[in-house]
Amino acid sequence: MHRIFKIAGQSFDAVQAFKLRTIFCLLSVALGIAAITVIVAATEGAYKKAFDMVERFGPDALLVISGSEEARAVGQRDKTLTLDDVRALQEALSGAYLIAPMTSIGDVTVSYRNQKYQTRVIGSSSDYSNAWSWPVVEGSDISPEDVKALRNVGLIGTHLALELFGEIEPVGKHILVNSIPVEIVGVLASRGTTPTGSNLDDRLIMPISTVMKKMQNEAKYISAIKLRFVDQSRINGYEEEVKSFLRQRHRVPKGEPDDFRVISPKEIIKFLVALTGSLVVFLGVVGVISLIVAGFVLANLFLLSVKERTKEIGIRRSVGARRRDILMQFLGEAVIITTLGGMAGFVLGFLTAQLLTRVAEFPMHFSWKAFTLGLLLSWLIGIAFGMQPAARAANLKPIEAIRG
Amino acid sequence: MAICLLKNITKSYELGGESVEVLKDINLQIETGDFLAIMGPSGSGKTTLMNIIGCLDVPSAGEYYLAGKEVSHLSDDELSLLRNEHIGFIFQSFYLLPYATVLENVLLPTLYVANGSNREATEGALRLLKLVGLEDRAKFKPNQLSGGQQQRVAIARALVNDAELILADEPTGQLDSKTSGEIMELLAAMNGHGKTVVLITHDRITASYAKRVVHISDGRLKLEENAQDIQDRGAVI
Ligand SMILES: Nc1ncnc2c1ncn2[C@@H]1O[C@H](COP(=O)(O)OP(=O)(O)O)[C@@H](O)[C@H]1O
Ligand SMILES: [Mg+2]
Repeated sequence: MHRIFKIAGQSFDAVQAFKLRTIFCLLSVALGIAAITVIVAATEGAYKKAFDMVERFGPDALLVISGSEEARAVGQRDKTLTLDDVRALQEALSGAYLIAPMTSIGDVTVSYRNQKYQTRVIGSSSDYSNAWSWPVVEGSDISPEDVKALRNVGLIGTHLALELFGEIEPVGKHILVNSIPVEIVGVLASRGTTPTGSNLDDRLIMPISTVMKKMQNEAKYISAIKLRFVDQSRINGYEEEVKSFLRQRHRVPKGEPDDFRVISPKEIIKFLVALTGSLVVFLGVVGVISLIVAGFVLANLFLLSVKERTKEIGIRRSVGARRRDILMQFLGEAVIITTLGGMAGFVLGFLTAQLLTRVAEFPMHFSWKAFTLGLLLSWLIGIAFGMQPAARAANLKPIEAIRG
Repeated sequence: MAICLLKNITKSYELGGESVEVLKDINLQIETGDFLAIMGPSGSGKTTLMNIIGCLDVPSAGEYYLAGKEVSHLSDDELSLLRNEHIGFIFQSFYLLPYATVLENVLLPTLYVANGSNREATEGALRLLKLVGLEDRAKFKPNQLSGGQQQRVAIARALVNDAELILADEPTGQLDSKTSGEIMELLAAMNGHGKTVVLITHDRITASYAKRVVHISDGRLKLEENAQDIQDRGAVI
C-alpha cells in the first residue's frame, strides 16, 4: 500500500488517541459550520420561497393597492381606487386578460351554529380564484351571476373551514357573517402562511357587490385591483402604463406622489430577500467568528499537541519518517477532525434550521450546496490552521525531537 | 567491507555564542558483522557519535561513509531514507508510541517504506515478535509490558525493515541485571545472524557481549581494547 495511506492511518489513530483535543476542536468547528449551513439553507429557502410566491402571485401580475403612505400621512382618505377605475382599466388596457377588484374587511365575526371565529372577509369578482392562481378544490367558484345579483355566497379558506366546521363538510352549509347568512359554495386550496406570519387560509371570499352594499355600505371605493397580463416579459411596461393611467384619472398633479401603490413580482422578491438578509448577516457574523475561533482553538491545541508529542516525532524520524511524512500526519489529523466537526455542524445546522422553520416560520431549503460548502470550509480550516503546527512538527530536528 | 567508516569526524555545538567541540577528530572503522561496544563516561559524546553513525545528525567536519557512500552532505530526505532502510535504533528508554499497540509499534518503520504490502509487513512483524518471545502480546499497549518486554518490542522494531546496522544506546540502562542479560543475549543472537551491532554502554558486563570495545572520553576515541580483556575483567568483577 502507498505510504500516504499508511500515514493517513496514523492520523486516524492519533485522532482517536487524543480524544479530548479532538472533541474540543470538533465542537468549535461544528458551531461554525452549523451557522454557515443555516445561512446557506436560509438563503436558498428565501429564493425558493420567493420563487413560489411569485408563481402564486403570478409572474404576469400586478396588484394596485388603494392609498399610499405619503397620502395617508397628510390625512387623505386611504381608499382611493374605485369600481369606475376598474371599468376604465378594463377598457383601456388591451394587454390585461384579467382585472379583478378587491375589497377587504378585517376581524369579522363569523359563526356556524355555536362555533365563532374572527376572520378576514374579501369581496371580489368571480375572477378572484384565477387572479391569484388559487384553485377552488371543493364545491364551485363564485359565478358572475352571484356578483350581479349580490348573492350571499362565499369561498372558504381551509383554516377558517377547520375552525368553524371541524370534520364537517363545509360546502352547502350556511354561516353567519355579521349576522348575514352566507352559503359556502366552495373551498379554496390550502396556501399556508406568509413569511410575515399571517395565515393565508384564514379568509372568506364573497362577491364584492354583496360585501360593499351589505357590509360596508359603500358604493364606490375599493381596496385593491389585481391585474394579470398576457405577456409577462413586458410587466415593467404595464406597470408604468397602469401608474400613469391611474394618476391621470385621479388627477394627481405632476411631482406629487401616487395615491396608490403598485406591487409587482419584482417587489415580492425584494421583500423576501430583505427579510432573510438580516438573518443571513447575523448568522454570517456568528459563523465566520466561530470558524475563526475554531481555527485558533485548533491551532493552539495542535501546537500543544506537537510539544507533547515531540518524542513521538523524534521516534518517527529515527525510523525513517521524512519531514513531509510528519507534516502530512499532523495535517491529516487536523483535516480529519475538522471534517468530523463539519459533519456534526451540518447536522446541528439542519436541526437549528428545522427549529427556526417551526418557531419562526423561516423558509429553509437544504441542498447539496449547503453540505458541500460546509465540507469545503471544514477542510479549509483544517489545512489553514493545522499548517503552522504541522510545519513546526515537521521542522523539528530529529535529534532534538528524540531528546523530547 | 567496512559498513561504517568515520574519517576525522568533528562535531561542535554553539552554546551561548561559544563553539563547544563534543567530538574531536574521530576515526573509526566498523566491519560488517562486527559487534562493537563504545564505552565512556556520561557526557563524553557517546550519543552524539551514535547519532552521526545512525544518520540522525551530521558531523560538523570530516567524512562519514555508510556502506561505502559519503553521507554527511546528504539531504534530510536522503538521510531519512537511509535510516529507514539500513539502520535500527534501540534506546535506553525504549521510545515506544504509548497509544499504539505492540504490533503497531513494531510496524512503525514499515509505514515509511514507499511501497510495500501491508500483509507481508504484518507477517514479518509477527515473526519478529515471536523471535523476541512476545507473540502473545501483539495487541497489548506498551504500558502493559515490563521494561524488558518493552525493550524486546523496540528490538523487533529495529529489525522489521531488515536493517543491517543495529545501534543500541545504553539498551540496558533501565533494566535489572537479569533482564539486561536477556536483552544482551538477544543482541548477540542478532549479531550471530549477521547484523552489525554498535552498542553504547558504560557498563563493563554489558560491554562484555561485544566482540570489540572502544573508549571515548571527552570527545576523543581511545585505543581499542581486546574484547577478551574485558570479558576477563568482567569475570573478575
Ligand atoms: N544539541 C546540543 N547542544 C549543545 N550541547 C550538546 C547538544 N547535544 C549534546 N551536547 C553536549 O555534548 C556532550 C556529549 O553529549 P552526549 O553525546 O549525549 O554524551 P553521552 O551520551 O556520552 O552521555 C555533552 O556535554 C552534552 O551536554
Ligand atoms: Mg548518552
